[in-house]
Amino acid sequence: MISIDQLAYQSALRQNSAAGKMAYAWMTLVVCVAGRSLEVSAAAFVVNGFLVIRKGKISPLRYGKMLLVPLAFLILGTVAIIVNISEIPLDAFAIRLRGWYLTGSRAGVRKGLELCAVAMSAVSCLYFLALSTPVTDMLGVLRKIHLPSLLIELMLLIYRFIFVLLDTAERIMTAQKCRLGNRNLSTGIRSFGMMGSALFIRSVKRAGALYDSMEARCYDGEIRVLSRERPVRKKEILMIGAWEILLVFVTLWSIMK
Amino acid sequence: MTKREKILLKAAVAFAAVSAVAPVSNAMHIMEGYLPAGYCIAWGVICLPFLIAGYISLRNRIRENRRNMTLIAMAGAFIFVISSLKIPSVSGSCSHMTGTGLGAVLLGPAAVSILGLIVLIFQAVLLAHGGLTTLGANTFSMAVAGPLVSFGIYKLCGKMKVNRRVSIFLAAFLGDLFTYCVTSLQLALAYPSEAGGVAASAVKFLGVFAPTQLPLAVIEGLITVVILIGLETYAGPELRSIGFLKGSIRNEKGGR
Repeated sequence: MISIDQLAYQSALRQNSAAGKMAYAWMTLVVCVAGRSLEVSAAAFVVNGFLVIRKGKISPLRYGKMLLVPLAFLILGTVAIIVNISEIPLDAFAIRLRGWYLTGSRAGVRKGLELCAVAMSAVSCLYFLALSTPVTDMLGVLRKIHLPSLLIELMLLIYRFIFVLLDTAERIMTAQKCRLGNRNLSTGIRSFGMMGSALFIRSVKRAGALYDSMEARCYDGEIRVLSRERPVRKKEILMIGAWEILLVFVTLWSIMK
Repeated sequence: MTKREKILLKAAVAFAAVSAVAPVSNAMHIMEGYLPAGYCIAWGVICLPFLIAGYISLRNRIRENRRNMTLIAMAGAFIFVISSLKIPSVSGSCSHMTGTGLGAVLLGPAAVSILGLIVLIFQAVLLAHGGLTTLGANTFSMAVAGPLVSFGIYKLCGKMKVNRRVSIFLAAFLGDLFTYCVTSLQLALAYPSEAGGVAASAVKFLGVFAPTQLPLAVIEGLITVVILIGLETYAGPELRSIGFLKGSIRNEKGGR
């Protein structure tokens, strides 16, 4: 169903402390995005790839395919940044169209490519987190940093419901496909809409049934689950700390340069 | 072939390759790491008042009737599922609904702001749509601005006694369009054009995303109408339980 979720549970890094993994991913992400240095981006991209594939034992092919997911946005967005429409040609390239130019400057092209590098390294940080830490573990960490409990409970319930509803939706869509429900655009829209309303009705019914069953088990407005304690190891703290300090230094060095 | 034709051909091939390779990417989520740090923080701060209002409204609803807890969570999961499924027989790599217009009409914009935030977090972590640093910007465009417009138009049409189906279509359609405009503006503010500044840049971003987003907004409007027709036909009690059909036909107290 959702492959990232399955991969996160299978990851060999699953048993490491969620707090450590989240701290690593967040700090690296912030340094990458705030620093915008090519060296740091490249280093983070390589290290995240190593962690996901080697340490996490995720198949390189799947990881590679996932890296392509944001490609459409990346290319369209970067084209919009690099290409200008102007009456005066700029220095990198210029295509003439009836007195106007589709044109770009060297600085603009360099900035666009840098942006791609930064964005891809940031995506690799997100994937490291998503492919090593199941959502329930992340919620445990969020609970520890005292996010409002209502939010966390909503997130927990929504996360649980997603799979139930997704399963229902997929069954309905398979049934529709069997009956040529998506023959063309208009039947496709109608089928999708009908699936949506059936899904909504079922989800409201399920919500009621779930509340009844929770109340039968003494639900009093708070869901308490035991989570296994996995404290961060000293070695991990040291390594993460050293890595982030290194990244900050490289960023500063590349800004000074 | 002249030089220009060659360039055009290359561009066409590149575009086709992108559409073929990128399987499921929702073009209207700003991807991870694409905005400078200052903009990420600024959009997050702008979202805060809306999120706080949404939080208070949700808390009150749950205090009023504890049953609403599972109902609201189910609605959140519903928005996630509807927006993560690819619409069949619609070509293009990014044929997803936003689902927020539907949510705004059903649940009201306040509830959708928090649910939208949660849905966006899960989309980033589970589907790699959007990202954690761009969460603020995406929340503003998809969970605050779009739903507010949808809800406003829906109410306005209700006041002006426009046909119910037309008003639902307009709400979802214009909400989706507004989300797309806000996203383009967010990108333009962060990356103003070298020739022409923010305005020129906004036009470029609007233009680049228009071919996928305009048809998609129409489709989103149509699907929302079909969903709501289905719900009004088969799910009167359920709709009343979330406070939707309050003003119409039978006036029952919400929350059974």
